[in-house]
Amino acid sequence: MPVLETVLIYGVIPLVIVLLFAAVTLFPGRGKDQTKYRPGRPWEHAPVWYEPHPDVPGVVGGHAEDAPGAGHAAPRLGATASALAIGQHPHVADSDTVRRTAAGGARGTW
Amino acid sequence: MTQQLNRQPAADQYGPSATEQTGNSSVMEPGSGPFSYRDLARLDEALTMSSRETGLRFTLYVGELGSDTRATAEDLHSRSGGDTSNSVLVALAPGQRVLEIVTGTAAARRLPDRACALAVLSMTSRLGAGDLVGAIINGLRQLSDAAGHPARRNAH
Repeated sequence: MPVLETVLIYGVIPLVIVLLFAAVTLFPGRGKDQTKYRPGRPWEHAPVWYEPHPDVPGVVGGHAEDAPGAGHAAPRLGATASALAIGQHPHVADSDTVRRTAAGGARGTW
Repeated sequence: MTQQLNRQPAADQYGPSATEQTGNSSVMEPGSGPFSYRDLARLDEALTMSSRETGLRFTLYVGELGSDTRATAEDLHSRSGGDTSNSVLVALAPGQRVLEIVTGTAAARRLPDRACALAVLSMTSRLGAGDLVGAIINGLRQLSDAAGHPARRNAH
């Protein structure tokens, strides 16, 4: 049956391949894992604030300093902390005026 | 997973290792934020690696910044916890289309305003195309490249 074989090889097999690629590329929900953002659209999420991973060595202010007795290494004291450790008291600013810590940076719009 | 700082944290939101400043609620509910799991992992890696490379403490804020965006960003920077002079805040307001980078006093010596402006420029071009996560990751990479490595700088 050469006619049936010809149809199978040159007709059915390419059709199967084409349908396979179509199913893969047009698969619904493929882009569902993407973060949706379009410029100009309103941003309707709650504010989030991310900090680096707490167990990073060498990063000051990680959570390793929160529990020095819980298996973590003892935190290194910075200059201010070691000065305060020998009996001095920090200058306490007024509670309503937050001390300005910013020294530089940049801003931009898009 | 990247920790998440809350501006007004509730008492029951603190994670096992969090202080009152840093409630890591994203660890418990990672799907509640605006980013997908894959993007969160990329952001986590970018923040952690840039902080590890430079010794500076990079934090990322995504949300509204109010009418005076610079003052709000500097206020957030002053409350970012840890050693604020050594920390760098990247604050994005996607709704307002504003990006602010705030550096502390020690961080500003390693990361001058020109380097921050260059990072802002490349970030805004990506943000204009809608690539939020790519802009953040490339901006962090650019900032950490500009800041360099602390051990190498102190070696001579």
